[in-house]
Amino acid sequence: MSAEPNPRTLEVRLEVSGIRKQFPGVVALDNVSFRLRAGEIHALLGENGAGKSTLIKILTGVYQPDEGEIRLDGTPVRFASPRAALAAGISVVHQERNLIPQFTVAENILLERIPTRGVQLVDHAAINRLARPWMDMVGVEAAPATPVAELSVAQMQLVEIAKALSLQAHILLMDEPTAAITPHEVGYLFRILGELRRRNVAIVFVSHKLEEVFELCDRVTVLRDGRNAASDVEMATINRDRLVTYMIGRAEVIAKLPPKPPAGEAVLEVAGLTTKGGDGALSLVLRRGEVLGLYGLVGAGRSNLAKTLVGEIKATGGEVRVRGAVTHIASFREALEKYRFGYVSEDRKEEGLILLHSVRANTSITIWRRLRLLGQWIARSIEDAAILPSLRELDVRSHSLSQSVGTLSGGNQQKVSIAKWLAAKADILIIDEPTVGIDIKTKNALHELIWDLAAKGKSILLISSDMPEVIRLSDRILVMRNHAIVGELPNDHQYDEMSEAIMARLS
Amino acid sequence: MTGGALLRQVALLALLIVTAGFWIYFSVAASGFTSDFNLFSLLRFAAIQITIGFAQMVALSIGDLNLAVGAIGGATGMIAGWAMQVLGLPPLVAVVFALAAGMLLGFGNGLLITWTRINSFIVTLATASLITGAMLIVTHADPFSRLPDSFTSFSETEVASLPVSNLVLVMLAVGVALFFLYRNLSLGREMLAVGANRRAARMSGLSVDRVVLLTHGISGALAATAGLMAISADHTASPSLGSDWLLASFVAPAIGGTLLSGGLVSVPGTILGGVLLATISNGLLLVGIDNFWITVFLGVVLLLAVVLDRVTRAAGGAVP
Amino acid sequence: MLRLRGLVPGVALGLLLIDLVGMIVLSAVRPQFLSDYNLFVTGRDLSILLLVALAQMIVLSLGQMNLSIGSIGGLVAIIESGLMVRFGVPVPVALVAGLLLGIACGVVNGLLVYWTKINSFVLTLGTSYVFAGINLGITHATPFYHIPNEVSSFGQARFGPIPFMAAVTIVLTLLLAGFLYQVVLGRQLLAVGGNSVAARLSGLPIRRATLTAHAISGFLAAVAGTMLMAQLGQGQPTIGATWVLPSFAGPIIGGAALSGGSAPVLGTVLAMVLISLIDDGLVLVSADPFWVEFLIGALILGAVVLGRTHLGDVRVFLRISTARPVGSIR
Repeated sequence: MSAEPNPRTLEVRLEVSGIRKQFPGVVALDNVSFRLRAGEIHALLGENGAGKSTLIKILTGVYQPDEGEIRLDGTPVRFASPRAALAAGISVVHQERNLIPQFTVAENILLERIPTRGVQLVDHAAINRLARPWMDMVGVEAAPATPVAELSVAQMQLVEIAKALSLQAHILLMDEPTAAITPHEVGYLFRILGELRRRNVAIVFVSHKLEEVFELCDRVTVLRDGRNAASDVEMATINRDRLVTYMIGRAEVIAKLPPKPPAGEAVLEVAGLTTKGGDGALSLVLRRGEVLGLYGLVGAGRSNLAKTLVGEIKATGGEVRVRGAVTHIASFREALEKYRFGYVSEDRKEEGLILLHSVRANTSITIWRRLRLLGQWIARSIEDAAILPSLRELDVRSHSLSQSVGTLSGGNQQKVSIAKWLAAKADILIIDEPTVGIDIKTKNALHELIWDLAAKGKSILLISSDMPEVIRLSDRILVMRNHAIVGELPNDHQYDEMSEAIMARLS
Repeated sequence: MTGGALLRQVALLALLIVTAGFWIYFSVAASGFTSDFNLFSLLRFAAIQITIGFAQMVALSIGDLNLAVGAIGGATGMIAGWAMQVLGLPPLVAVVFALAAGMLLGFGNGLLITWTRINSFIVTLATASLITGAMLIVTHADPFSRLPDSFTSFSETEVASLPVSNLVLVMLAVGVALFFLYRNLSLGREMLAVGANRRAARMSGLSVDRVVLLTHGISGALAATAGLMAISADHTASPSLGSDWLLASFVAPAIGGTLLSGGLVSVPGTILGGVLLATISNGLLLVGIDNFWITVFLGVVLLLAVVLDRVTRAAGGAVP
Repeated sequence: MLRLRGLVPGVALGLLLIDLVGMIVLSAVRPQFLSDYNLFVTGRDLSILLLVALAQMIVLSLGQMNLSIGSIGGLVAIIESGLMVRFGVPVPVALVAGLLLGIACGVVNGLLVYWTKINSFVLTLGTSYVFAGINLGITHATPFYHIPNEVSSFGQARFGPIPFMAAVTIVLTLLLAGFLYQVVLGRQLLAVGGNSVAARLSGLPIRRATLTAHAISGFLAAVAGTMLMAQLGQGQPTIGATWVLPSFAGPIIGGAALSGGSAPVLGTVLAMVLISLIDDGLVLVSADPFWVEFLIGALILGAVVLGRTHLGDVRVFLRISTARPVGSIR
């Protein structure tokens, strides 16, 4: 399966061992090791929150490890800054963020060392001339003098690779390079990466798409919960199931949830929904009192679907029925007030909560309009009375209702972002990745809460890329891939069978 | 009480102590500082400055700026002057007229911001010159200096024979209204939510555009209130009214702990900030420091306030 | 074509057209527009205000603002005239001292912004009052009259319809354009404004870029203040008091974004030409001078609204990454 047998003995370029990195309240990396050879493409896998991006930030000097050692070509090194890592020949390729949009392709490539004539005078002709070979090497099709803002995302990525190569990078970190580009462009990118491998560049490839990993990579390291689940395994010796097991772990921690009443009538029916974001005709039915799991890897289009349902993204076709009536939801406000939808965003800090403000304000924000007396007045006693049941039901722990949400733990923050919808009596809850960045114990508590809500008659669309979570919580599971629903599975909560069935739909 | 709230209380207390310190110092060092006449004019000046600060504070609460506070205050002051002097309307009618005009101009700002999605800085920079330009064109820059006695004497009247002008009561009434707006009214709460995190506010079902529109309307009405207070105190509606309000509008809220990026306001802080501002201007003048140098002082005070705010917040980590 | 598009963006082409039409209409309606004296007076105002606009543009290109341009200009004019009139300091020495003071004021702004990371709007609002206050404290609002003849005669000097001052402005404009497009530090400055994260990760000198932009801003404000002093023949404390609006109007109408990264020198020049035409046109038709302020306000709004509709490439690019559907750029 691996692209081609490599006859050379590959020398180890970068060796990382015993790395530990702790942030307030969470151990991001614990005794992690990683080995990278010249001329290989090494997959770095793991679910969200497994520690991949922390490891990458340590390799590129953004973070310094608390413990552990990094050896570059056998010599121990410390990267005090991104600049230091860059100087040592390590470059990261982001999706499109690292370019100056107003500048030309050639200028971006040579940004740190603009060729000059005389005293500090920019030699534009030389910039274009010197950038050209690097552009040709990776196949940037635009002219050197084209402003980067006019390029496609895929082309910008190639510009970043060209820039890295021009910096004499011999280690290239590709952070989800295929997340935002078309299959055709992916094919081209892979040819380029294969070419670089032949030139002895060491490449780290981070992706959620296992097909790509099998197609492209030579070896793989998997992180799970900040630890090595697998290190330095040859792709040729591993199969897909095994890799998935490494990524998502065994189902051993899963305790069965108590039985709940059977699902009731359909409250949300979606038929043939299409959006500008590229969703194929999506159809699903959500019933009263059930948890419908929507499983898919990052980028499969799950959040897109959710945001279309609450009116954030415009639907271009299809039909949505809520409690039997055809609807066209145009905004969050309408979704909440007319149809009693609640949307718990995966991005608590930016979309879910107002960190600066109190628990009270964050919970009651959805019901201010309803609490008003005489048109505007909100009496604190009435406000507190309205939100306390929801906060108690979810067991939110805070010193007082006036405590600012930003000072709560991640689990309590997540509870507040659910509580505000309960306070508003929303009964169709769309919950997007509820347990990302939350420790195992709190995760368990959140699962029980969600299950409990469904048992009390709420209808829950649970979006998650955490397979044990989906299998534990869902009554039925929809599997999503490439913006299409590729399967609907009744869930018997048996981890091994279910995960196999899900994986079968994904490949 | 959480760290952030505690820190804010401490900052407010510190501001109170600093202000009190200046009062004690000037009472001793500046002869005439404690005379009834001086206290009266000091507090009246403070009342106007604070109301100007309120107009800006409201815009800041949603994370916007209103560079047109002075323009609206000046234009509505002129409208009131014209209504009283030329149309001969009773002062009360003229006041209502001017307040409505201020609110309408504010709505104009809000509409432009929500329609065009252009930064409030650019919009209010442009409308400030539109409003001032239009006012000057219409009035030919002629002041209205024959205002009815009943109107001008309002600001001269002492409350309960204390050295306190009616204008101070007006300012306090506005302050109380704003305090409850942000604490207890749905709109005020929505304004703070929009200011702290526009996206989360919208995704919680708030109508952000409506909030932005109303906020600028209130800001306009407050600017008009300040304009009316100023022409009552000056006994004349002058076309240059409002042209020097920009600094004052930011100094009082900034000293008082209002976050310039939105989502957090302090009404008592703005009042104390305005009092401090007025005390320094008045006291320095009395101790013989040249009026012109006081501008330097106010600039430094603004710089110190924002830098200190940044330092304490960085130290306390109250705002993530 | 690619090159041309880079050099002459759509905004500038539109402005050029409007300017030309304006000149043709104005000279048709009021033939005295073309008189040497009228062109001289208009050109002189333009020479000064263009420097004011460029002083703002260079800071905007970094994604920051400078509200103290006017008070720097005023303070510099006062210090220069004071040195010459009160202390009899030789003209060249006084002028050099004034320009250095302008640069120093700019550096103070830059240091404050760089150290505190506080919104440049508030910081430069504060420093503008400090600078203006020093000006008033020194002068007590009374001008320094009778500046040396060689300075005031420079303010009146012309070659046919062309004021000598124009030469200074043209040279400085070309130098600024050259700096931004041809000098490494200029490119770095624009890179920092265009994407400060990328600039930092690439190890570009962010502090030097910040200080340089503010220093240039202070320098241009100082030159503008000096030229207005020469034109007036005295050190007026009010010099610069009305510059806030034109300083923003030029770059914003000319196509600059508050978020930084663009430095439309040509657009700013053409926008200031348009403003001068309006100014002069109103004088020629004996309209109320207050119309100028009104029309500049309208022009800013109109230009930005139009700019939103078809010139938003860069903004769209930024939106993708920030995904902020509602609200303002701060």
